[in-house]
Amino acid sequence: MARVVAAMAMTHSPGLTGWFTRASREYQELALQATAEMRRRLEAARPDVLVMFSNDHLLNWPINNMPEYTVGIGEEHIGPAEWFDEWLAMEKYRVAGHATLARWIVNEGGRRGLALSYLREMQFDDGISVPTHYLNPDAQFRLVPVTMNCTVPPIPTPERAYQVGARLRDILAAYPGDERIAVIATGGLSHEPGGPRYFWVDEAFDRWFLDLLKRGDHAALLRECTLERMEAAGSGGTAELLTWVLVLALTRGPADMLAYMPAVAWRSGTGMVVWNEMA
Amino acid sequence: MGNVERCDKTLPTNEMMFHVRRDAVLRARFASDLEGLAREFKLSRAEYEALRDQDPRRMMDLGVHQYYVPQILRLFFGAAHNSNASAALECYRRAYPEETAQAMALQERLERSR
Repeated sequence: MARVVAAMAMTHSPGLTGWFTRASREYQELALQATAEMRRRLEAARPDVLVMFSNDHLLNWPINNMPEYTVGIGEEHIGPAEWFDEWLAMEKYRVAGHATLARWIVNEGGRRGLALSYLREMQFDDGISVPTHYLNPDAQFRLVPVTMNCTVPPIPTPERAYQVGARLRDILAAYPGDERIAVIATGGLSHEPGGPRYFWVDEAFDRWFLDLLKRGDHAALLRECTLERMEAAGSGGTAELLTWVLVLALTRGPADMLAYMPAVAWRSGTGMVVWNEMA
Repeated sequence: MGNVERCDKTLPTNEMMFHVRRDAVLRARFASDLEGLAREFKLSRAEYEALRDQDPRRMMDLGVHQYYVPQILRLFFGAAHNSNASAALECYRRAYPEETAQAMALQERLERSR
């Protein structure tokens, strides 16, 4: 049976590659150290495949037909999508997919009451590209990308994301293979992409949210961190933390906070965490 | 809820932007013939003018999804080095002077305190 061997989360702000040097030197160093530590722990866990949860920024699906979740089932993934390479200041990259596992997730989801859309060719913007740049730059790990809707109303609630995470935990555990799987959430922290508060970062919210993760009390986080609270900290962007909540369901106990930066220059509260114990 | 709930999911601009971002030919049309492109996608005159005038506030008041607004500005100003000082984001300073000033003051305060 497959096994989840690592769980982590990081911000995917395009500023982390596209205009990295616009932030203070201190933030640059913190981000580089934290992502290097994530990569060190990832390599130590020896995963065969990364199941990466991000959100679709209206790139793969139009606004009139946005599924809640989408799995990339291709044999290979290529990013960034055309037009995003210049924005992200990234060269094209190729990562092997894991089509068998991806298709298992889709079909087993269907059997277990979880509707998952899929794409054989998925386009990547910052959501998958920035974490890939830092965590899988040599494409040594295969990739199953999973995007979710965090930005088109109705936005799912944290409770729903956690329930989906618990269902995915069972689906991955039931996979008839001996793959070692790392689950990675990307997005957040506080930001409001394109909204009136486009340049704003809510440091108080971010530190409060990260403290909840450090406490490791899932029930408390779900009780206190409502969708309304996320939206108040940055509409249409902070709710990317739903990916973190989803991954939380595959973990147990407190998370290690590797770094936090209220990086207005990157237009996003920026953080990196790793969980030590899997559920 | 938040600003994102103000978007009009049925607004033609939101449909158009999905296709424009994914198609180099449409992106070229955006640069060379925005009015014609807007007509093809059935944008209202007010939508077209908000885009033409590069006005984030009017775009969002009409129901353009907030995520598409900076993407629209990038079509005018280019995608590289999209920092807070870029020409594209100057449009936000004009449209939302108060919010932008608060954010810049926050940035200054954070940087001074470190």
